[in-house]
Amino acid sequence: MKAVGARLPRYDGIAHVTGRTQYVDDVRVPGQLWVKALRSPHHHAAITHIDTAPAEALPGVHAVVTCADVPHNVYGHLEALGVPADEPLLADGQVRYKGQPIAAVAADSEAIALAALEAIDIRYEERPAVFDIRQGLDPGAPEIHHWGPVYPHFGPHNHRRVRKGDVEAAFDAADTIVEGVYRPQAIEHCPLETQVSLVVPEANGRLTIYSCTQAMYFSLGVVSAHLEWPLNKIKFVGGTVGGGFGGKVDTATETVCALLAIKSQKPVKWRFTREEEFLASSTRAPWHVEIKDAVSKEGWILGRRTLTLHDSGAYSRFSPYGLTKHAFHHTGAYTIPAVSFDGFVVYSNRVPTTAMRGFGVTSVSLAVETHLNRVAQVLGLDPLELRLKNANRIGDTTGNRVVMHDPSTVAVTLAAAERVGYELGDEYRDMTSERRTGELLPEHLAGQQAPEGEHLIVHSATTNGGH
Amino acid sequence: MARRQGRGFATIEYPTGMNQNGDPSQAWIKLKPDGRVDVFAGTVDIGQGSKTVHTQIVADAIGVPYDWVTMDNSNTDSSAVCTGTFASRGTFIGGNAVRYAAEKAKERILEIASKELEISADDLEVVDGEVLAKGAPDRKISIPDVAGAATYVYGELITGNGTALKPLAELNDDDGSVTAEPHSAISYAACVIDVEVDDETGEVTVLKMTQVYDVGRAINPTLVEGQIEGGAMMGLGLGLLEDAYPRYPSVEHRGEQFGAYLAPSLCDMPEIDNVIIENPSVDGPFGAKAIGEMANNAQPPAIAAAIHDAVGVWVTEMPATPERVLRALQASAEPRLDGKRVIFDEEISVAAVSADGGEGFWGVDA
Repeated sequence: MKAVGARLPRYDGIAHVTGRTQYVDDVRVPGQLWVKALRSPHHHAAITHIDTAPAEALPGVHAVVTCADVPHNVYGHLEALGVPADEPLLADGQVRYKGQPIAAVAADSEAIALAALEAIDIRYEERPAVFDIRQGLDPGAPEIHHWGPVYPHFGPHNHRRVRKGDVEAAFDAADTIVEGVYRPQAIEHCPLETQVSLVVPEANGRLTIYSCTQAMYFSLGVVSAHLEWPLNKIKFVGGTVGGGFGGKVDTATETVCALLAIKSQKPVKWRFTREEEFLASSTRAPWHVEIKDAVSKEGWILGRRTLTLHDSGAYSRFSPYGLTKHAFHHTGAYTIPAVSFDGFVVYSNRVPTTAMRGFGVTSVSLAVETHLNRVAQVLGLDPLELRLKNANRIGDTTGNRVVMHDPSTVAVTLAAAERVGYELGDEYRDMTSERRTGELLPEHLAGQQAPEGEHLIVHSATTNGGH
Repeated sequence: MARRQGRGFATIEYPTGMNQNGDPSQAWIKLKPDGRVDVFAGTVDIGQGSKTVHTQIVADAIGVPYDWVTMDNSNTDSSAVCTGTFASRGTFIGGNAVRYAAEKAKERILEIASKELEISADDLEVVDGEVLAKGAPDRKISIPDVAGAATYVYGELITGNGTALKPLAELNDDDGSVTAEPHSAISYAACVIDVEVDDETGEVTVLKMTQVYDVGRAINPTLVEGQIEGGAMMGLGLGLLEDAYPRYPSVEHRGEQFGAYLAPSLCDMPEIDNVIIENPSVDGPFGAKAIGEMANNAQPPAIAAAIHDAVGVWVTEMPATPERVLRALQASAEPRLDGKRVIFDEEISVAAVSADGGEGFWGVDA
């Protein structure tokens, strides 16, 4: 029997529904301490004074850590990809969002740990905050980071840009220009299992980290970078996650637990409360997308201008990556020969936003699809026929000059129409994804087409190794 | 005042793997002396079933029964690098890593079998746990016997390892052009949503979702349907219910419990009709493309379109709460016309809300 294509049951399904799966919080180690974090009560403030000595003096408290205890406090998740670090593991002199961790305590019980947080002597000086990224560049807007209100490292630019074709000419030639604004919201990841880790300091000097991360090697890299330890001194144990959806790409608890385990030489566990999960952990980013399409009365999209603002929250985290991915896909499942895209990662005093299912492209889908429906409405055309006409075809190139070799815009659109009994005109019903020719290759689309025979990019996935 | 029905469409695309690539997944395989197959990889199963899918890929790539294969993804000591379970990369990139490792292990199996059968490895094939001479299937040796011979006669361990890695695609920051394809296969989907809108309360009910996904090859159709239906409900939450900042622009009064944060539940679940299309990718495992992330992208615009079809207004700030639908109905604003420009949503634009008319953002080329 062939396994591929078979409806085999999930290997872990029975264990999940009968409660036999062991998640991180089910792991029990004798002598384990509990962790709680002191979090900022303000959206934006300077920390003018902090003294953790009263907390350390409490019976049952085994360790307290602040930014002074972190060997490499400011580490960026994407430093390896050239995204400079801007987020401290524990706040250093300034807090930029409500819920930002400042100090953490390991104690015999969660109650003692909470009491220890109360005992920390801390004073703040509140600062004005920014919540609407549309006002991020306003003169006199509150300063969140000293380098400015937007992430500045897209090469020489402070924004991600795509430029292709003659956009001016497309807008001059257009019969109609349709302009719209789309604002998908921030949402929570909502995993049933909140962020959690258990770190055990082993007798041989290694750390064993039981983690709910979606990416063990990624998180291993993050913890080892903060600690400035080699990879072989840390063992991640994971692979079973009680819901991730992108939020558990953040390495939220592991590094703080590691520091407390090293300092106390005892196993420590930190599990977010449901309130922490909702209020202090990251969200999907809210986006602001403005589209202006130059269209002909026949329903061709001749050109597009796009402005995207990505609300990064207080720190960059994965946002520059998400915006770049958004830029690469900003024309959706369609071919537009002339585009001008500018996208900004704008800081606010919301919680940092992070990866979530569809990262960077969920916003494109809302904006592009709604906009196309409006173009169809304005032109008085069928919205499906508009899609089929402008669909990605073999040999078409995207704004980033990526050549399409196996597009299915046409196939899925036709299949959906057929499934619900939607009537299409004859010239659309039999459409395929083959290279554009004839009426489907008007003058404005001719130049963007890759030469015949060059439409198949040979993917360069590599293998190595042997025995 | 009435309940009005409407239908909306959306067609979307989504890439496989990290944008610009450079994200390896590695795996290695060893055979036990009875021919059973142990797979080690660092790919985390976040509930989508990647461990099951990878096991299926290995079983067919070697040619052994599915239940001979055991996968261990439990820790970073025994497994090699996997960049992570995100970017819809599990089946494609993680799956390619275990496939390459399985193909290497299969080569080793054929080498040992070649010695035992005294037939060139090129003339052998693996079928259902046995190595057969091509064209002479009575000349054969079972994989358990091959593994036993490797261990106890030849003193060898049958292993294989593989890495799936597409090199980083360089990006021109001035125009966004790339020198190489910046992702693996692109998946496509279309979504049709039927809604009912109460034009008195603004409440929107999704009645039915019809969804078509091109996944290249459904390694496990049941798990593909799980992704489609789970994603559909997340998309419904995006379109109608969820908001981390429900009083925005105030950022206070956030939901801090499931009882106060409106995630979709089973009672919100409409009839869902799934259609899977298989337009194979050129280089995914057995032609597979990705399905994971894109599954919640098509619903919000299809819902917005269905609301427009039902009651004639556009909601472009998500979610389409009863309040937003009612406000749109009360405003019933026509787009502003300016020459050949047709301008929707002017009041929520950067130009309207920022202090300088949006010049800072719109004027970067000026």
